[in-house]
Amino acid sequence: MGTAIVILILAAIVGAIIRSLVKAHKRGEHPACGGDCSHCGGCH
Amino acid sequence: MGIRIALAGNPNCGKTTLFNALTGSNQFVGNWPGVTVEYKEGKYKGDKEVTIVDLPGIYSLSPYTLEEVVSRNYLIDEKPDAIINVIDGTNLERNLYLTTQIVELGIPVVIAINMMDVVEKNGDKIYAKKLSEEIGVPVIEISALKNRGLKEIVDAAVKAGKEANPQSPKHRFDGSVEHALAHIEELCLHNIDDENVQRWYSIKLFERDEKIQEKLGLSSDVIEHIEKDIKSCEKEMDDDSESIITGERYNYIGTIINGCVKKAAKGLTTSDKIDQIVTNRFLALPIFAVVMFIVYYVSVTTVGSWATDWANDGVFGDGWHLFAIGSKAYTEAADEYTANQLIVDGYDLIVEETGAEPTGEFEYPVEDEETAAVEYEKATLDDYEAAKAYVESNEEPDPANYGVWIPGIPVFVEAGLDAINCNDVVKGLILDGIVAGVGAVLGFVPQILVLFIFLAFLEACGYMARVAFIMDRIFRKFGLSGKSFIPMLIGTGCGIPGIMASRTIENDRDRKMTIMTTTFIPCGAKLPFIAMVAGAIFGGAAWVAPSAYFLGIFAIITSGIMLKKTKMFAGDPAPFVMELPAYHWPTVGNVLRSMWERGWSFIKKAGTIILLSTIVVWFCTFFGVVDGAFTMLEEDQIDHSILAAIGKALAWIFIPLGFGDWEATVASITGLVAKENIVGTLAIIYGASGDVYETMRSAFTNASGFAFLAFNLLCAPCFAAMGAIKREMNNTKWFWRAIGYQCGFAWVIGLIIYQVGKVFTGEGFTFGTIFGLAAICCLIYGLVRKDKYNK
Repeated sequence: MGTAIVILILAAIVGAIIRSLVKAHKRGEHPACGGDCSHCGGCH
Repeated sequence: MGIRIALAGNPNCGKTTLFNALTGSNQFVGNWPGVTVEYKEGKYKGDKEVTIVDLPGIYSLSPYTLEEVVSRNYLIDEKPDAIINVIDGTNLERNLYLTTQIVELGIPVVIAINMMDVVEKNGDKIYAKKLSEEIGVPVIEISALKNRGLKEIVDAAVKAGKEANPQSPKHRFDGSVEHALAHIEELCLHNIDDENVQRWYSIKLFERDEKIQEKLGLSSDVIEHIEKDIKSCEKEMDDDSESIITGERYNYIGTIINGCVKKAAKGLTTSDKIDQIVTNRFLALPIFAVVMFIVYYVSVTTVGSWATDWANDGVFGDGWHLFAIGSKAYTEAADEYTANQLIVDGYDLIVEETGAEPTGEFEYPVEDEETAAVEYEKATLDDYEAAKAYVESNEEPDPANYGVWIPGIPVFVEAGLDAINCNDVVKGLILDGIVAGVGAVLGFVPQILVLFIFLAFLEACGYMARVAFIMDRIFRKFGLSGKSFIPMLIGTGCGIPGIMASRTIENDRDRKMTIMTTTFIPCGAKLPFIAMVAGAIFGGAAWVAPSAYFLGIFAIITSGIMLKKTKMFAGDPAPFVMELPAYHWPTVGNVLRSMWERGWSFIKKAGTIILLSTIVVWFCTFFGVVDGAFTMLEEDQIDHSILAAIGKALAWIFIPLGFGDWEATVASITGLVAKENIVGTLAIIYGASGDVYETMRSAFTNASGFAFLAFNLLCAPCFAAMGAIKREMNNTKWFWRAIGYQCGFAWVIGLIIYQVGKVFTGEGFTFGTIFGLAAICCLIYGLVRKDKYNK
């Protein structure tokens, strides 16, 4: 039971990370770059 | 109805500082020109209906540079409701040159004389009211840094924008110029909808601005007709049209300055005095070298190292004593116990090796924790008896029994997982994968923050602008422009904005070469790796971290010299004109904000990309095929892992560089996702065999360790930076050329370091050393060979 809960939490975290990366990508941001690159498109 | 206000002005006059102050934004502010390459928008804090647009700094509205094109196109095509022309009050004359052009655009203008605090400190006086009368637009004194006059300037701009009644330029050129302008207007501009901008167009056509001719779609007949008017004026004034306009504008500015500015009589300013030393022909470079040495030494070896040790050993390790209470007592007890244990172990070792007990004084090994150097100390049989009695009657000290002990994150997590009876596979994934990998990267946050504080200070105080000026003198000798150094300065934070900043270089060949070499400078993401190598392989030696920075500069200069001699990059370097801003103490807020922005992006990356990577790396490390079956591996079986298979397939590439094992190979590969991954990957792989630093120390020699460092510093950057290179190159062939060159150059430098370095580190002269020496000869040939293409 404990293992299942941990796996669920892990899956949720990984899902949230992937979702945030995809959303950031759509916004024109990239987590590797600290600057506001919404205008630059340098990462795409 | 919304109002759009554009901030326009010379580079480094404080537009971005004003933009941040007005919008509450956190755009990067640097005390050198060219920080803003593209325009940015933000809402005014005091009224969300007001949009503020920060334009790149420009010296004129002529399309000489990319920034000028971006700013000019925005002002003409987007037509903001009003323009705040930001002027550096300490350099009024040069700043007003742009003003004389902006007021001709037919857009309401308000002038903000910035840096009034510095003007007043210098004892100078600017008569704003008179200046306003002379130019015909409102003039307001401000200090963006001190939040002075900000509301007034926005209110004035909003009022001007709402009234939509553009000023009529007060300046009139010489009679013959005005005559030519009138002809041009009559000939082709009378049907333009916005008659306010007719004058500006006519001046640009008089200057033979091809982009404007194109924009207006003029026929060749009309252009020919205009040419007659221009030539007639040029003949009369005995100069070319562009120079005529420039000269006339400066004459006009001269009359304004005479009436509106009173300079305090004085000798050299403080900035001038500092520059006499800092930019001195002989002292400049040694000073720069010392400054950067101190920056990296303090960041990695002293302050940063103490903090990182606490983060690595405490927060992401076993734990730490709160406020160091009990730490001293525990250390003393642990040292005493270890000293006795070493004597007992030494005695037992002799018995094990010789099969006989020592009969008198004997030697036992003691390993230095920092350097891993083993020294032998002597003990008598009495010492052994006493040590044995101590070890038998005492237990190894537990830090939790001293002071207030806070367990580290891994201890907490492990206890939690044990409490819920978590499966061993999942427990391994969390502890050996995520916590070990992400923890190893996050453990370096203190060092990163200290480095970023230093860099932010050097940038904001104006020193880094001097460095570009100093480097221009050196770069020029090798056919490079100092302008190439600006992207490299920006690249110390992150390579991506550094690569983007190369847009300011007009010469296409220089720009491409700058893109190829910018990422040689170690970015913030490489710092954890540098610190890890310095700590694990070189026992925390102070020279390792600064040498990484200087290796980057060496790589840029040698690449510049060699590439400039090729047909692809031949040509004179572009002239580098840069204003050296006055030195000033940066505000604490600005420095901390800059540090935090960069630091936060590092932390964010650790929580996203690095975390995902550690899961993949853990899976590939602890799963593999044993006896024909795909299974989870024990710690001593990871040689059969997926990662080991990948690493072994590629490790031959790095054999000549001294780190041809699968562990170092896969770390170099995962570093392409994000450079911090090298640390995370090594922590997972080496952590499986025991202490990460100890295992790493045994896996590398000094020569192979430095070759490993050099290769990963100079080879292709992370995928995100590669994306930026691809975009800026705008050509697939050029992109692969850049990546190929970076990897090839890094490999050659790694080869030289290892093969020649091992001769000096006592590993001897081998067959490979000949290849290392041959690589040096090739490098020297590339540097000194005759230049066929540049005269």
